[in-house]
Amino acid sequence: MLEYLYDGTFAGLLTAIFHAFRRKEYPDVILRPQGQRLLFATTHTVETDDVMAQRVLNGIERYGGKTTCEQLLHAFLSQSNNVEILILQYARELFFQKRPIMADLGNSFVLQIHKLDRRVLREVQRVLMFIRFERSADGIYFAPFAPKYDVLPLAVGHFKHRFADQQWAIYDTLRDYGFHYHGKRVEQITINAPAFSRDSGKLSVEMEHENEDDYREMWRVYFRSIAISERLNPTLQRNFMPKRFWKYLTEKKV
Amino acid sequence: MNLQEKIRILAAAAKYDVSCSSSGSDRANQPGGIGSAAKAGICHSFADDGRCISLLKILYSNHCIYDCAYCVNRHSNDIQRTTFTVKELVDLTIGFYRRNYIEGLFLSSGVINNPDFTMERLVRVARELRQIHRFNGYIHLKTIPGGSSRLVKEAALYADRLSVNIEIPSEGNLKMLAPEKDYPSVLSPMSLIKEGIVQYKEERRIYRHTPLFAPAGQSTQLIIGATPDSDRQILSLASNLYATQNLKRVYYSGYNPTNLYDSRLPAITVPPLKRENRLYQSDWLMRFYQFSVDEIVNDAHPDLDLSVDPKLSYALRNPHIFPIDVNSADHHMLLRIPGVGPKSAKMILAARRFRKLNSQHLRRIGVVMKRAQYFITCHELPTATIQELQPERVRSMLTMDLRKQSLPNAHQLSLW
Repeated sequence: MLEYLYDGTFAGLLTAIFHAFRRKEYPDVILRPQGQRLLFATTHTVETDDVMAQRVLNGIERYGGKTTCEQLLHAFLSQSNNVEILILQYARELFFQKRPIMADLGNSFVLQIHKLDRRVLREVQRVLMFIRFERSADGIYFAPFAPKYDVLPLAVGHFKHRFADQQWAIYDTLRDYGFHYHGKRVEQITINAPAFSRDSGKLSVEMEHENEDDYREMWRVYFRSIAISERLNPTLQRNFMPKRFWKYLTEKKV
Repeated sequence: MNLQEKIRILAAAAKYDVSCSSSGSDRANQPGGIGSAAKAGICHSFADDGRCISLLKILYSNHCIYDCAYCVNRHSNDIQRTTFTVKELVDLTIGFYRRNYIEGLFLSSGVINNPDFTMERLVRVARELRQIHRFNGYIHLKTIPGGSSRLVKEAALYADRLSVNIEIPSEGNLKMLAPEKDYPSVLSPMSLIKEGIVQYKEERRIYRHTPLFAPAGQSTQLIIGATPDSDRQILSLASNLYATQNLKRVYYSGYNPTNLYDSRLPAITVPPLKRENRLYQSDWLMRFYQFSVDEIVNDAHPDLDLSVDPKLSYALRNPHIFPIDVNSADHHMLLRIPGVGPKSAKMILAARRFRKLNSQHLRRIGVVMKRAQYFITCHELPTATIQELQPERVRSMLTMDLRKQSLPNAHQLSLW
């Protein structure tokens, strides 16, 4: 058995693929640092190398186009079990066929990549749907969120375009980092002593803008009022808006 | 009356309008402005009835001079009445939008004084949003039947989508339930907008900066089950509207018992949800599956079969076109297979260029093999299809499962 160890970044994985080709060998697993190690395995540790990673990426783009690159990145972000091997298989097939294989859905790993890609994009969509900003005393619109995958970077562009004239910050409470837009650029931030509760996402009272409670309450009134009582359907509601999002949703949290 | 109270009353008054979509427009944000529209639309929440909340769907006022029997805001109904001011509504929209609660505003209203007076208020809200607040989010405005053409055209300059609700699917019944309304007053603004859109598209080809004119088109709504109209009448009307008025959507709203004392309306306690669902499925068949209305309902079958979906119903009535070979059939035929949707049809077309597909592949792609198995042949040994089994048998096999599901705790044996 052969295992590769890499640093858990996408560039690291691409370097690992480069190593596999250069060493003419096929690892059984490619492991993240926190991955489950094999018992009796030869281990090869991959040092992330941007030049090697770029060469692999160029190759993927050359034969598969930009869409394939994006698809593989999204699949990678799903952090699903063994996604690294899937991506390696995909790259091997792509380099062998020298043409886009994205549509070959009869091929099991192409289909798996396709599905992972869609799963991650759906999570991006949910960030756009379920982010709820609260206005703080210093005028920043703040939103904590806990997406299943590390997708905030993919969603930031949308908010930058849409809310170009307001200061906002979105914070991933699971991965403990976020983005702050201050009118010109978006910057990555980490909050050391948070002024908000990680459980409820609520800003502490002195941090909150004075009108904020009014808006919250008006939105809740609207939310209750717009439902038709003869047609209540909580199952359908939960299907579209899974419970894991509720803790940061103004209309649902208590 | 405080603002919360107004929101409570006027949102409840707007809830029977089923449209909520924020799609069809990709208006970009401008420098110094706020907001943008997403082409596919974005839902921001889901109400307790499971319907999506995308726009702030609200009435400007629930005062109304008309007395349409099916409407909760009819003049003779004894309910609390109130009206927003333009400023309240504009500030509310912007405030909600900045917090990412909504995609934009869907504004409708009861008719105050006269149609033009009302329409003028709606247009003013949209104008202030666009011009003073530089709001580039989605705006859906309701055109008030009988509003002047000048106001309708002005509305189209600010709104992404416009709609006029026909509500009752045949003119005779509309006259009976809403004596003040008639089809021409509803259809003339619709034609006006349609012509405007056609003209805009032509001018746009020559001059790129032609101001937008209702970029997300227009829609309408039909109430189902308030009148004895057949599904055939409803779907023919819808199909006709798609063809002649270029509508983006026709919405079907199962009649909610909003008027309990009027004998012209049926006495029901729950809305006809199943029928509404089947009508939407038929609507999808017409818009995305290349079906014509006669293939869904016709003289022999004027009403939809509530026990199976309209596509399966079509397949059972037309066994001679099956089985379809998924490895060679064209797009049009693939779309006729029950269990294959537009997405899987596309995926089949792409995937079969690489290899012949068998049932395993189809299942993984997302084809519902439970239904599709009787209507296809693929790259493996033939199985019993509708030709061997006969339509009756297939129908009973496919509906039997459903019956099992709906029976409460059927055959679930206890372990202890």
